[in-house]
Amino acid sequence: MLLLLGVNLPDQKVVSVALTYFYGIGPLTARKVCSRLSIHRECKLSELTEGQLNQLSSVLSEMTIENDLKRQVSANVLHLREIGTYVGKRHAMGMPVHGQRTRNNSKTAKKLNGQWLRKYSTPARPLLSSPPPPSSSAFGIFQAPLSGRQQW
Amino acid sequence: DRTQSTAFKKKDDDQGKKARTGKTTAVNMAAANPLYYTDRPDPRLETLSAHSAIPVHVNRVMEIDEGFLACLGAERYPGYLGTDFGLFGRPALLYRGQTQRLVEQLATNAEAAPQRATVLDGKGGTGKSAELLKLASVAASLGHIVVYAPSTVRWVNSSRPYAPEAGDSGLFVQLELALEQLRTMNGMCRDALAKVPLGRSAAVGKRRLAAESTLADLIDIGLQTPALSHDVLDLLLDVASTQTAVPVLVAVDEVNALWSDSMYRDQGDVVLPARRLRLIRALLPFFEGERSLARGWVLGAISRVDVRFMPKDLKLRLDPPPAVPLANPDLAKDPSIVRQPTDLPFDTIGVERLSAAEAWALMRFYHETSIIASPVTEALVAKKWVVASGNPRELFASVTSFA
Repeated sequence: MLLLLGVNLPDQKVVSVALTYFYGIGPLTARKVCSRLSIHRECKLSELTEGQLNQLSSVLSEMTIENDLKRQVSANVLHLREIGTYVGKRHAMGMPVHGQRTRNNSKTAKKLNGQWLRKYSTPARPLLSSPPPPSSSAFGIFQAPLSGRQQW
Repeated sequence: DRTQSTAFKKKDDDQGKKARTGKTTAVNMAAANPLYYTDRPDPRLETLSAHSAIPVHVNRVMEIDEGFLACLGAERYPGYLGTDFGLFGRPALLYRGQTQRLVEQLATNAEAAPQRATVLDGKGGTGKSAELLKLASVAASLGHIVVYAPSTVRWVNSSRPYAPEAGDSGLFVQLELALEQLRTMNGMCRDALAKVPLGRSAAVGKRRLAAESTLADLIDIGLQTPALSHDVLDLLLDVASTQTAVPVLVAVDEVNALWSDSMYRDQGDVVLPARRLRLIRALLPFFEGERSLARGWVLGAISRVDVRFMPKDLKLRLDPPPAVPLANPDLAKDPSIVRQPTDLPFDTIGVERLSAAEAWALMRFYHETSIIASPVTEALVAKKWVVASGNPRELFASVTSFA
C-alpha cells in the first residue's frame, strides 16, 4: 500500500484507477493526470519510480482534492443557506434540491443532503424569533433578506 | 482505508486460490488410466532453415528454430501462435506452397531490392503472421540482417512506458521497446551485424564510433545504454538500409498499427497518432515509400484482429468498395467484382486459403500430436476443409471444437 497525500493507495492497481481513490478525482481527471505525467495506461503504482511519485504528489498538491474540496463544498452549501436561497433551505431540510418529487422516493436526498450543514450550528441570520426588518417585508417573514448583490 | 470493500466480506482463505487449485495436476500418474493419460506424442519434425526451405518440403510441417524463437520470447509470439505452439508441444508450422514462393522472392530481393514495400493481406486466420514468422526465421538462417517486429500493436496500445522526447520535436520515446527490439536483433543476427561496417564515424550520445566499427558494436552501445536505444536503432536502420554487404529483411507484423491512432496521450491529454512515436517513425518511412533498402526486402503483414488499430482510410484502401454500389452486401464481398482503384504506398500479396494437400498435411499433423483422435481420412479432411473454407484458423477451430 502506498501512502500518498494522506490516502492509502493499493500498489497493484493501475495508476489511473488508483488515483480515483482520492476524493475529487474521477476517471477523467485521473486520465488527465496520467497524460500530463506521461504515465501509460497499464502502468501500476508499484512500477512508478520515486521521481514519478514525487511528480505525481506535486501535481495532486496543486489540485483541490480531499479535505480542501470537502471544505469548499461545505462552504458553498453553507453560503447558500446563509443567503437564504431555496437550495440552501432544501439542504437544511435534507430534501431534494433539484426539483425532484418528494411524495415518494427522495431517499437518497434525505440521507445525503444536509450532511454539509450538520457539522455547523444554526445560521447567523435570525429567521423567526425576531420580527423581520421593515425593508424586507415584501418578501415574507420566512425568507431572509436578499443579499446586497441581488437587490434591485 | 478505501481499499477494503464494504459491500461484501470475502471468505477467510489462508491458502489462496493458487494453493487450493495448484498449478500442477493433482492426478496420481502411477494410478492413472493409461488409455486416457498418455504421453504427449513427439513426432519428428525438420527445423525450418535456409537448407530445408526447398520445394521438396512443401506441404510438410516443420519446426521453427528454437534459437530464433528464444530471441523473441514466448510472450511475443505473433497472434495466436503462442497458444498453438503450446498445444502442439513444439513451435511447428506448415511449409506451404506460398511460403516457398515467398522464400524464392526473398532470395531474389536479396540481390536487387524492390522500391516499394510488400504487405501480406488476407482474411483473419489465413496465416499472414505465420508466413512472416517463417520468412524471418529463414532470413535469419540465411545470414540476413533481420529487423523483425512480431507485434506492433504492443507499441501503440499504451502497455509500455513512454516519455516526451527532449527538445521540441514533439515526438515520444519508448526506451523499453526500443531496447527490446535491439535485443531481438542482436540475438537473431549478431553475426550478420558484425559483417557490416558503419562506413562513417558516428556519435551516439557521448560515445564516438569509428568508421570501421560494425553494427554489432553499435548495438552493444544501445544495449549498455538504454537511454540511447532510439538513437542506436535509427542509426542502425540508416546504415543497414544503405549498405550492400548483407541483405536486410524488415518484417513488421500488424503493420496497420503504424498508421493508426495510438492509445497514448500527450501532456495535453490529446490522443497521439502512432507517427508521433519515435519507434514507429523509424519504420514507417519504409512502408510509405520514403525510404527503401539497397539490398533486401521490406515485408509487412496486416492484422484484422484488433480493429482499434485498423485506420478507416487504410481499410477502405485495402478493401475498396465496388466500383458500382451494390445493394446486396454478400455480392459486394465477391472478390471478382470490379472495385474502385486505390493507391497504396506498398504492394500487397494476398495470402491464399489452404489447398487440399495443405489441409491434408495439417490434419495429419494434428492427428500425430493427438489433437484429432480419429484417423484422418479423405472424407474428414474434405468436410473440415469445406466447413473452414480453407482458412487455417477456422480449420483448427473446427477440429478442436466439440461440435
